[in-house]
Amino acid sequence: MTRTEFWQGNTACAEGALAAGCNFFGGYPITPSTEVAEHMAAKLPKKGGVFIQMEDEIASMASIIGASWTGARAMTATSGPGFSLMMENIGFAIMTETPCVVVNVQRGGPSTGQPTMSAQGDMMQVRFGSHGDIAIIALSPATVQEMFELTAKAFNLADKYRVPVFLMADETVGHMREKILVPDSVEKTGRKPFVPGNPPFRVTDPDLIPGFPAFGTGQHVHVTGLTHDERGYPAATNPPLHMALVKRLVDKIENARDEIADYDIVNPDAEQVFVAYGGPVRTVMQVMHDKKDKNVGFLRIRTVWPFPEKALLEFKNARRFLVPEMNLGQISREIERHVTVPVVPIPKLGGELHTPAELVKVLEEKA
Amino acid sequence: MKLVIDENRCKGCNLCTKVCPYKIFREGKKLNRKGVAVPELDRPERCTNCRLRNLYGRQLCGVCQLTCPDQAIHWVEEEPYEPHKVAIEY
Amino acid sequence: MSYDEWFRQDRLPHIFCAGCGNGTIINCTLAAVDQMGWKKEETVFVSGIGCSSRAPGYILTDSLHTTHGRALAFATGVKMAKPAFNVVVFTGDGDLAAIGGNHFIHACRRNIDMTVVCMNNQIYGMTGGQGSPTTPLKCLSSTTPYGCAEPPFDLCELATAAGANYVARWTSYHVKELEKAVKVGLETPGFSFIEVLVQCPTAFGRRNKFRQVADHVEFLKSHSLLKAKRDRLIDQGQPVPEDMFVVGELTKRNRPAMGVKP
Repeated sequence: MTRTEFWQGNTACAEGALAAGCNFFGGYPITPSTEVAEHMAAKLPKKGGVFIQMEDEIASMASIIGASWTGARAMTATSGPGFSLMMENIGFAIMTETPCVVVNVQRGGPSTGQPTMSAQGDMMQVRFGSHGDIAIIALSPATVQEMFELTAKAFNLADKYRVPVFLMADETVGHMREKILVPDSVEKTGRKPFVPGNPPFRVTDPDLIPGFPAFGTGQHVHVTGLTHDERGYPAATNPPLHMALVKRLVDKIENARDEIADYDIVNPDAEQVFVAYGGPVRTVMQVMHDKKDKNVGFLRIRTVWPFPEKALLEFKNARRFLVPEMNLGQISREIERHVTVPVVPIPKLGGELHTPAELVKVLEEKA
Repeated sequence: MKLVIDENRCKGCNLCTKVCPYKIFREGKKLNRKGVAVPELDRPERCTNCRLRNLYGRQLCGVCQLTCPDQAIHWVEEEPYEPHKVAIEY
Repeated sequence: MSYDEWFRQDRLPHIFCAGCGNGTIINCTLAAVDQMGWKKEETVFVSGIGCSSRAPGYILTDSLHTTHGRALAFATGVKMAKPAFNVVVFTGDGDLAAIGGNHFIHACRRNIDMTVVCMNNQIYGMTGGQGSPTTPLKCLSSTTPYGCAEPPFDLCELATAAGANYVARWTSYHVKELEKAVKVGLETPGFSFIEVLVQCPTAFGRRNKFRQVADHVEFLKSHSLLKAKRDRLIDQGQPVPEDMFVVGELTKRNRPAMGVKP
């Protein structure tokens, strides 16, 4: 059963989190993500959850990691400048395999930039922002409906893969109001159960994911950001152990690329293919609707990282990939790595979505 | 009871020697296998806990054990008929 | 000693240097925790980065060894998500007052129900002896080779001003008083802050003319001024010696606290 609502994107995101059972939100207000925090502040206490406004984004990220270890489903919401601040603690969450959800409603950057205008400038930062070799999962919603669904999905992915999952929205989708069909309930899958008697960080399954020994279950687990052995004890001066640990943390996500991938394909036999995620999806959908050309394909990506390169290979006749982005071509660079045909980035900075006319112009200019 | 310093843990800092109110320790002279000069018990008969713990049924003093940074000091029950020095105090 | 069961025996002897005061502080804290009768499953130790923050790795409970300076933020998350847990935080002077200063002020302001034991060795020990915000004037460290030119923090005054419910200061010489102070801190609802001045023979002592560990401990003992005595000196109008530090229970009050066990 679903009910129809007319919601703002940020509201839908918060409602998606609540539907998924989020019971801890530690955040700091920043335009354009503040509405997520405000909605959670109003709704979480009524559901027995905890909302706390921390003193800065660094503390926000820290508090959700601490809460996650007690077994809570924790999330925070921020934008560009706050995202940069969170990088160290994001690395800590990856190293300690702490499930949590971070919503980044992107705005014009760099630096203070354009607080009230849209952008997609953090797509590379989410993948490589924290220091060292890491792997994360990043989802990108293009509609208010996806803000709801992908936030709920993010919690399941975070719990399953024990990694921070990022919802890379943009100010367009965050602040727009749109019709949404809200389901009564969403599917909730939990963390892998921990088998007592084993060292806390021992991994025996081929999916490289250890069981989750929450605090208070008597496992006496020592969680540290230092390189650790399977008992959780620091072992920072052991080269093969470090290599094995970091490889496992990266492979855990990269090996599961295909299961995590979420995308839509329109016209797989096309010669010119649009690849889009987030806000520009809406413009491409308008162009596809207007043109109705079988020779124009569309790859709509919902999981940007790990990048679903197999989706690109499904376009067997593709002679050009057109990538409209609200940045200077961050994901088009990733696409270039996987295909041999030309990739045409269509960057647009400034805060406004691409217009259909701009995309049609690129479509009609033959290389 | 008698006081035992665990040679595996002692790092020879001699803080116990410094803080004991009854001055029962003195600095060690010989180095053990780890290269540490473990403090020796100069006047163990003056240790309150050794003498009176069984009488009172609880830990007495214990400043050396709390102070020892390496958790090296423990008290153990002594064997029957273990010889020790006895001094009369006024 | 009954608090011996709280240690991870398979990890001892620990990495602290010979004569490091941190080992003493851990003993006193665990003795106090043991006296509270808490269960290991309900107790969580949180720490930042530094020599002091290696302590939870040696304690047999759930523990969180976090990023530099952010221990209090992590501990806030743990405590607010599950107020039933008993949260004890180990930090150092650099971890708490330098990079963690903001989190320290806010944790005191919120008066979150946790106990923070700050092992103040007045230097950055683990990284080789750099100056810290609590390094006394004119003292030598590896980044203040001409003597420290910055006036140091008074962490206890800061905690009191920001709103902590219980603030005390002792040194690693005063083991019995420290154990009692930590116990009072654990019992007091709200933010309890216990600052302990400890000796760092390898980084601070070596550079500042304390050749033997015992000399530094003697210095700490002789420069401690009991709070009652300081108040008496002020009442009598006599000058309080500048280089002495005030020890004892400095603040105890009942401001509203957050995250108290229901």
